[in-house]
Amino acid sequence: MDLPIVALLAQDGITNGAVYALLALALVLVFAVTRVIWVPSGEFVAYGTLTLAGLQLGKASGIAGMLAAMAVVAGLMEIASAIRHGEARGLARRLLLWAGVPLAIAALIHVVAPLQPPFLVQILLTLTAVTALGPLFYRIAYQPIAEASVLVLLIVSVALHFTLLGLGLWFFGAEGSRTPPFTSASFEWGSVTVSGQSLLVVLTSLALIVALALFFNRTLYGRALRATAVNRVGARLAGISPTFAGTLTFTLGALVCAFCGVLIGPITTVYYDSGFLISLKGFVGAIIGGLSSYPVAAAGALLVGLLESFSSFWASAFKEVIVFTLIIPVLLWRSLTTHHHEEEE
Amino acid sequence: MRLTWSTAALAAFLVVVAVAPVAAPQFWVTLGNYIGLYSIVALGLVLLTGVAGQTSFGQAAFVGLGAYASAWLTTQYGTSPWLTLVVGLAVTALVALALGFITLRMKGHYLPLATIAWGISLSFLFGNLEFLGGHTGLSGIPALAIGPLELKNERVIWYLIWAIALAALWCTNNLLDSRPGRAIRSLRGGLDMAEAMGVDGARLKIVVFVYAALLACISGWLYAHLQRFVNPTPFSIVQGIEYLFMAVVGGAGSVWGAVVGATLITLLKQVLQDVLPQILGRSGNFEMIVFGVLLIVLLQRARDGVWPWIEKLLPRAPPPPVREAPPLAVRHHAATDGALLEVRAARKQFGGLVAVNDLSFEIRHGEILGLIGPNGAGKSTTFALISGALPLTSGEVVFRGASIGSRPPFEVARRGIGRTFQHVKLIPTMSVLDNVALGAYLRGSTGVFKAALRLDRREEALTRAEAARQIARCGLAAHTFDAAGSLPLGQQRVVEIARALACDPTLLLLDEPAAGLRFLEKQELAKLLRTLKSEGMTILLVEHDMDFVMGLTDRLVVMEFGQKLAEGLPAEIQRNPAVREAYLGGV
Amino acid sequence: MLQRKLVTALAAAFSFGVAGTALADINVGVTVSATGPAASLGIPEKNTFDLLPTTIGGEKVNWIVLDDGSDTTKAVQNAKKLIGENKVDVLVGSTITPASLAMIDAAVEGETPMISMAASARIVDPANPKTRWIYKTPQSDALMADAIAVSMKAAGIKTMGYIGFADAYGDGWLAEMKRSAQTAGIQVIAEEKYNRADTSVTGQVLKLIAAKPDAVLIGAAGTPGATPQKELVARGYKGKIYQTHGVANPDFLRVVGKDGNGTLLPAGPMLVYEQLPDSNPVKKVAAEYVTQYEKKFGTRSTFGGHAYDSYLLLSAAIPEALKKARPGTKEFRAALRDALEKANVVATHGVYVMTPHDHNGLDNRARMMVRIDDGKWVLVK
Repeated sequence: MDLPIVALLAQDGITNGAVYALLALALVLVFAVTRVIWVPSGEFVAYGTLTLAGLQLGKASGIAGMLAAMAVVAGLMEIASAIRHGEARGLARRLLLWAGVPLAIAALIHVVAPLQPPFLVQILLTLTAVTALGPLFYRIAYQPIAEASVLVLLIVSVALHFTLLGLGLWFFGAEGSRTPPFTSASFEWGSVTVSGQSLLVVLTSLALIVALALFFNRTLYGRALRATAVNRVGARLAGISPTFAGTLTFTLGALVCAFCGVLIGPITTVYYDSGFLISLKGFVGAIIGGLSSYPVAAAGALLVGLLESFSSFWASAFKEVIVFTLIIPVLLWRSLTTHHHEEEE
Repeated sequence: MRLTWSTAALAAFLVVVAVAPVAAPQFWVTLGNYIGLYSIVALGLVLLTGVAGQTSFGQAAFVGLGAYASAWLTTQYGTSPWLTLVVGLAVTALVALALGFITLRMKGHYLPLATIAWGISLSFLFGNLEFLGGHTGLSGIPALAIGPLELKNERVIWYLIWAIALAALWCTNNLLDSRPGRAIRSLRGGLDMAEAMGVDGARLKIVVFVYAALLACISGWLYAHLQRFVNPTPFSIVQGIEYLFMAVVGGAGSVWGAVVGATLITLLKQVLQDVLPQILGRSGNFEMIVFGVLLIVLLQRARDGVWPWIEKLLPRAPPPPVREAPPLAVRHHAATDGALLEVRAARKQFGGLVAVNDLSFEIRHGEILGLIGPNGAGKSTTFALISGALPLTSGEVVFRGASIGSRPPFEVARRGIGRTFQHVKLIPTMSVLDNVALGAYLRGSTGVFKAALRLDRREEALTRAEAARQIARCGLAAHTFDAAGSLPLGQQRVVEIARALACDPTLLLLDEPAAGLRFLEKQELAKLLRTLKSEGMTILLVEHDMDFVMGLTDRLVVMEFGQKLAEGLPAEIQRNPAVREAYLGGV
Repeated sequence: MLQRKLVTALAAAFSFGVAGTALADINVGVTVSATGPAASLGIPEKNTFDLLPTTIGGEKVNWIVLDDGSDTTKAVQNAKKLIGENKVDVLVGSTITPASLAMIDAAVEGETPMISMAASARIVDPANPKTRWIYKTPQSDALMADAIAVSMKAAGIKTMGYIGFADAYGDGWLAEMKRSAQTAGIQVIAEEKYNRADTSVTGQVLKLIAAKPDAVLIGAAGTPGATPQKELVARGYKGKIYQTHGVANPDFLRVVGKDGNGTLLPAGPMLVYEQLPDSNPVKKVAAEYVTQYEKKFGTRSTFGGHAYDSYLLLSAAIPEALKKARPGTKEFRAALRDALEKANVVATHGVYVMTPHDHNGLDNRARMMVRIDDGKWVLVK
């Protein structure tokens, strides 16, 4: 194993690690605010790539239909909840928000997709559509049981994962897709070649991470989310509604996932069921960060990417065995050195 | 035995199990066999995840160990399947011990992820080992045979599968209703309470983990000989998630939840496979979509799973009455020379923060000592140092002449120190009687084996009688069979005291017992504490409420900024200007 | 309320299977992997059963198609359900080797003939007495691996590397390819594995290239086969690249794009039937099937052909069996088994000549070397 190979493996590991890191951030965010271990995040990534690939071919690829269907369900749930509580005030506004907006996005995609708009517009459409799914699924699946135990929320996540997997197979088919590269540039650096595509992925991830950090530190909404993450009851007393915090979190989480999907589209083939393993690796990163620390989570995700890359060189048949076995001591070390609050019932 | 609804339901279930293979159509028997296999695994998860609170995604890997051990030995070496069961169990026990030793130390969300990690590792390992048939699998596994009777026919192997499933159900149910069972229930929500009752929590977790793994292994062994083919996919992480699914959907708090969950998930998939093409046509694959949606709706409606919902329909059987029994052995309480407990220059630092700064005081036999001080004075930390919840940075805690500083809480408890918690830690779904019986943990000796086989009834009767006595002593006899969580806070605090008394302590540590109580409740509590003192109990009271403390204690130790500010009789303390300045705000 | 709904649903579920299938009809039970990892193989198979006629030899045929999600346990459950509930006369399936191997016991105990659509020759291994009841339509890995070895030898290749799925498909190909390569005097100097949904195969490909093989064979099915190929091209590998017949579908061409140019693979004749000489009997059969399929489902996949071939085998064997017994009886199933063993059928993937020792029945006519040229399959003459 000489230098160019090490460099290439490291580059590969870091590129994948950057994507895992983004996912890890989304998972940490969602867990900290809502206590949901967001298993279906991977499906959002896959939907991102596959929607973009569909738009390339001038197809709305089912995402529009899915948005519309979810909008109808969310709207019905709002009406049902209004009837149950005998509370019609604000219903029109909520209906507009939960049903109107997603329906409008669905209609937009349906109209624009066959026109084969420029690549950048396609990316924007993809991000909008996949991001809109986030709060919708929160409203439909999680919000009614937001107070349940972490285990129950986890099982709901797994059930949602199954559903999204099935929908993905239905809308996108069993075969995978790729999207065209953003750039074909590459940089020589002595004997080491760095591809522009990898650089782009890493830089975009970094930019997103910085943007998220700014959001959490500088904006009112960001601070509200942080407050909720630190102390749910306290935040509620301070007037931050958990529903609002959950909705905002899932919107952000879905946006980050959609970004991941757009970023990995050109570097790998994505299938309807690719998401699970990708999110699992992001999840490993997130857990290494104790589901609370963003920088450690990102570092953990990079570690997973590198481990994966080097073990696929050394012994590809045993890659998963090596990656997941080596994770255990890291987890143990993190578990023993992290101070825990009272464990949750 | 009186015929109650529950026993009738149980009898009906047993009749169904006995008659089904003779009467039911072939495919129902097939499904029933799989349900039996899944129930056995889910049962382990009920104990591990639902009761002990340790989420595991890795059970499928243990199923795989059982299946592969038997598949490999029977096909390669022609070993008898009954022998391979023993080998499989031994291998599984070893692997579970090793994995449990490493992963069960993990807290919070590290544990579930670690189970995913080794779940994936093991299942990929099966696929990469040439001698286990690689990814393609091993075929030609023989059917089980009892003497000349070959259990090839599904209607025959049914009886073996369900005999094992029912035995596992019986054992697990027995276990939950026993000394170790109460301890296992207390593992949920952190180890603090369990360890204060003298339970070695880390060890018990491993025992439960191995128990669940062995059940999974047996299921795997049955699977291998039912299917007569093994390959890695049925032991993958996806199946591991499915087992957890079954336990949670069925109701992870009860052994019947495992059977209900396994049945529900298996039948639901079958029904969807049959019904959906009729409704939606054959063009798509809607099973997975509808399956997920139905489960989300179900959990939104019944987040504790289906079993509690069924249980509500069945009328409740009255709890077995507590019979008179001779008292449990009592500890030797004779006074030793000097103080009962001495705190010598105890110090606790968190990083740069000194929470307790070289604090010294003593507790004398038969007194009520009050430890008071303003918020943040270090009272709770001192309490934690004495009870073993926190290790000392330096200094010593000596109890009856022996050093107990920095010993784990369960060892402190063994020496005769009982405690209560500032935030009540009872198991809310368990009856007051069982909660208090948990306090008597150290006075019994029944282990998991004896409990599972129900050989613990004599000791159990003694324990229950003792618990009932302590409940009566604290004046809660009317609530003996109520769920602890249904009582008002004041009474819950008293239950905690009864629980501490059940361990026959020499010293009782009470952490802010009056917090959140109303006036009358406080009076009741003071009366109880005085009675206990008159019976010879020594009590350390950490308290915030001055009025409560003043009328009750013999002596007071006042803390401020981690140090002792004053010590003396309540009247002296009340007059002490430094105390008035610091604590009473100069009133 | 919920309770009553549940009961109704259950009753409905368990009665459909029985009520839907009259005993006088011929019932064919199919289990395919239409979801899960093998979905890209199973879906065209499933689609094909939608095209099939509902009568054979003047008798009504019910095609009962179930999905096993690429899971062995589910495949066995399906087989037992089809035999026990639906009283099928013959089983078809499953898509993948492990599921098919697992179903053998169920088929043999139900004394029901089974036609697998999976690759491994182990499914119909004549040394195993149970396989008396088992047939399969796809070309065995061995037959295809031989074709590759012959092609490599002709191109003067001395060393080769292998990268394939870490599953039964990849394992099976590796084992057969090693054997064929040895016979042809070619050395396998590097073996790598990857998972279908891996986001990156850089490590494996770097290692392959470092071993400097004259050619690389990618043992994968469907679009995932493109992942190592694109990586090999991106890393500047200059040797020949071979694929297996598993990638022979249009989506692979879409994903691999121009990086696929020049790639060679063995495939059943239906893939390039237009380029066959009219004298080849397969051409007419393949044309018939592919036209039907493409009209309804888009571009052809060779996996659908395996399903169609199982129909062709049945349409030849069922009339023979009908002469001996009525459908729904043990005798009919036995007669069907016997008739399948004498089948001599021209189908989309070749000509099946079944014998007691060969329950696959395909020969060299069932494989052609095909080259990818600008997104098209071109027959190598």
